[in-house]
Amino acid sequence: MKPRVAFFDFSSCEGCQLQIADLEEEILDLIEIVDVVSFREVMKEHSDEYDIAIVEGSIMRPMDEHRLRKIRSRAKTLIALGACATIGGVNKIRNQWPTEEVIKEVYKDADIKDNEFFNVYPTKAVNEVVPVDYYIHGCPITRDEFKKVITALALGKKPEIPNYPVCVECKKNENVCLFELGKFCLGPITRAGCGAICPSKGSPCDGCRGILSKPDVECVMELLERYDLTYEEMKSRCMMYNTESFNPKDGMTIVRRGRK
Amino acid sequence: MKKTKDIRIITKNEFKNFVNNMIKDEYYNVIGVKEKGIKYVFDSLENADDLRLDYDVTILPPKKYFLPQYEKMMDFNLRESFNVKKDNSIKPMILLGVHPYDIIAIQQTDKLYLDAQKDDFYKKRRDNIIIIGVDIQKISPKSFAGSMKTHVTDFGFDLMITNLEDKYAITIGSEKGRTLLEKHGKTKSADSTDVKKIREIRKKILSQYTRELKVPKEEWSNVLAANYNHPIWEKRSQKCMECSSCTMVCPTCYCYDVVDDVSLDLKEGSRIRTWDGCLIRDFTKIGSGEVFRDDISKRYRHRFYRKGNYLPERYGFVACVGCGRCGTACLPNIADPCDVINDLSHFERSEDTSRFFIKQKSKVDEKGVIHVPRSATIKRAEKLTENEMFFEIELDDHKKLGHKPGQFVEVSIFGVGEAPISVSSGSSSKLSFDLVVRRVGNVTSRLFKMKPGDKIGIRGPFGNGFDVKNFEKKHLLLSSGGLGIAPMRSLIQYVLDPNNRKKYKDITILYGAKQPNALLFLDEVKEWSKVHNVKCEITVDECAESDCWTGCTGLITTLYPKIKLDRYDSENTIAVIIGPPVVYKYIIKCLETLGIQDGNIYVSLERRMKCGVGKCGHCQINGVYVCKEGPVFNYNQIKDLPEAFE
Repeated sequence: MKPRVAFFDFSSCEGCQLQIADLEEEILDLIEIVDVVSFREVMKEHSDEYDIAIVEGSIMRPMDEHRLRKIRSRAKTLIALGACATIGGVNKIRNQWPTEEVIKEVYKDADIKDNEFFNVYPTKAVNEVVPVDYYIHGCPITRDEFKKVITALALGKKPEIPNYPVCVECKKNENVCLFELGKFCLGPITRAGCGAICPSKGSPCDGCRGILSKPDVECVMELLERYDLTYEEMKSRCMMYNTESFNPKDGMTIVRRGRK
Repeated sequence: MKKTKDIRIITKNEFKNFVNNMIKDEYYNVIGVKEKGIKYVFDSLENADDLRLDYDVTILPPKKYFLPQYEKMMDFNLRESFNVKKDNSIKPMILLGVHPYDIIAIQQTDKLYLDAQKDDFYKKRRDNIIIIGVDIQKISPKSFAGSMKTHVTDFGFDLMITNLEDKYAITIGSEKGRTLLEKHGKTKSADSTDVKKIREIRKKILSQYTRELKVPKEEWSNVLAANYNHPIWEKRSQKCMECSSCTMVCPTCYCYDVVDDVSLDLKEGSRIRTWDGCLIRDFTKIGSGEVFRDDISKRYRHRFYRKGNYLPERYGFVACVGCGRCGTACLPNIADPCDVINDLSHFERSEDTSRFFIKQKSKVDEKGVIHVPRSATIKRAEKLTENEMFFEIELDDHKKLGHKPGQFVEVSIFGVGEAPISVSSGSSSKLSFDLVVRRVGNVTSRLFKMKPGDKIGIRGPFGNGFDVKNFEKKHLLLSSGGLGIAPMRSLIQYVLDPNNRKKYKDITILYGAKQPNALLFLDEVKEWSKVHNVKCEITVDECAESDCWTGCTGLITTLYPKIKLDRYDSENTIAVIIGPPVVYKYIIKCLETLGIQDGNIYVSLERRMKCGVGKCGHCQINGVYVCKEGPVFNYNQIKDLPEAFE
């Protein structure tokens, strides 16, 4: 029997689901290996019986949390889809300020006090609320990686997400290193799997697939000096998707993958 | 220097025609050095005007045409039980503008991929590439090729171009090159002034290098042999970002990973090999999740030892050509071999350069078909425990596997991947062979769902098995921990075979498992102990009250004091250990107490044996390939290898 798959969205632009909808003819291949029972972007039908839940978006409110727990309890497998779900992504930018301040800045004097839709807390990634089995990283996700994860699950194997940085793929693409062009790129510390798409088009990596390792402060400072880069540029790159991996006071703290 | 008749002169205009004629020749793909932003790359050449022979260095070496970043090895069809096709299409290629250091790097890769165990994919590409070199006109700031004596070369090319300002000299390196030049270029012969000029130009190149090695390359091996525990590795690796850029851009790095790519409808797929790097943490990760060489300082050190000690000891050349690419690519600036070796220059040298390497012959498949698995059928599949399963396998060509006890095979399931599994049966007269699989990774989990009649792929047998000849006329003391009983069973079956039994003296089989329900082959153990002068002792680490276990409880080490020393005259005893990495040092201590010499102890080690033929680099213990020189080792040979029992 084909596994039953359902898509869900929380705080996000829904662009990652759109990437899947954009498979176009390949959708036919997809439904040959799975039964899509819920996918709001492309179908009206909905079922609460599913094996695999694919969740897009960040968790911002108690009501989100409640809904997510329900999804988790129904699904055998839960996949976090896209940066908002996997690492919190751009939704976490606001976590650097107290939530009350953020609400005041955005909604000014609007009367939202008892409205549960506006009852927000600091942004969480999906795995900060429920256990996540597999991750499809990126902002947006790459269709190739989505296909890899789905085919792996259909073949009964554990999807393998790269555990090495973007530089590996960027080097294979033979790009001119953006540091040499005076740009700060997060490729050396960001999880690969995107095929180094941004640096290959001349745009520095923003770290949307999450930070793998944080190099020590001294090393980063040396780097900035060597390539004549500013601390501000590095900070703005880091704050985009990885607000919590970067402390503006201490810079990047020493945390190592290889050293336990 | 070649003789004058092998040097041709071509005007700059005619050279352009020569290049354009080659481009027009549809028999070839012409690849040349072109600009890419502020850098240079080897890329498809459409017009001679795009060619930049005055480049300093390319971002990636020409390695990408011999061992492509992503190389399709074979296509498979998942709708059928076993359908695999090797990709054979290759268009001949002309590589135009290769610098001498890169030519020397290609020569090294040739040695690794074409000597002994030939790599059929590499060979096919190599045979179809014509190399047109060019003498260096501009030195890359990070290069130290002068110190490595790789700034010029007299061999390894089909043609070699030297810029004589108003014209080019073309040195002919092969008949292939001569034919190509005669077909497409209008040249005249060189005179003695030209020859003199070429010599001067090459001499001048050397004087232009600003970076210099303080340790000649011939001494790298000595320096590294003495400084394995030097603080430099820990200190410099603190800054490492673990991005493996250094290995990606290296012309002499050749390690690879293999992945299966499947179409979304699961009908077909391809097996692809892609560059891998030893700085990446998962490089050594095995099915059960264990990572060897986990610490970044050890991975950082490994790269330099591979370049400067392990490969030089094995093949006789330093696997660095001084191109400076890694130094350019490394953001924290710690990857440059010139810096590292110079930092070590005033430290000790050791004459014992081969201390991280063992010399051992290994079986070579002369046919060179080493990557495509053979079709095989599961004859019998039995669940032994919750997580272990037994398989009897027969090759579909109805040939015997022909293995020695202790060897392993690569089990291949298309769409999922490959896993190294020890053969668990002795090399008896029957056609089939046995495997025991523990459910840990993708391949083994998939095997768990398979049943008799299902098809799998088999490569091998690989590696060195037990030296059963050397065991003759000796007592045998065989210790297995956990799943170690599976490969040990191949040795036990062999020595207990009625045809072989009389060659060996007393046999003691010691076997320990975590708990009673983890013990495998208990019925067989009972049968083994019935054979004359064979004794079996079993123990479990722990035993729940609910378990029905009347045997011994305690670690396997508790069994050794029970062995009667008088029966075990230690000089005539061979001890074999197979178990999880943690047990080795404890058992070895017990054996030493019994007075068994290190040279009479054999062990079988587990690492990530991905290719099985000593190419992909994943299973290395210092300078030793476990897949080739192992998995069975004499303890004396490897006890001093720092990475063996970490």
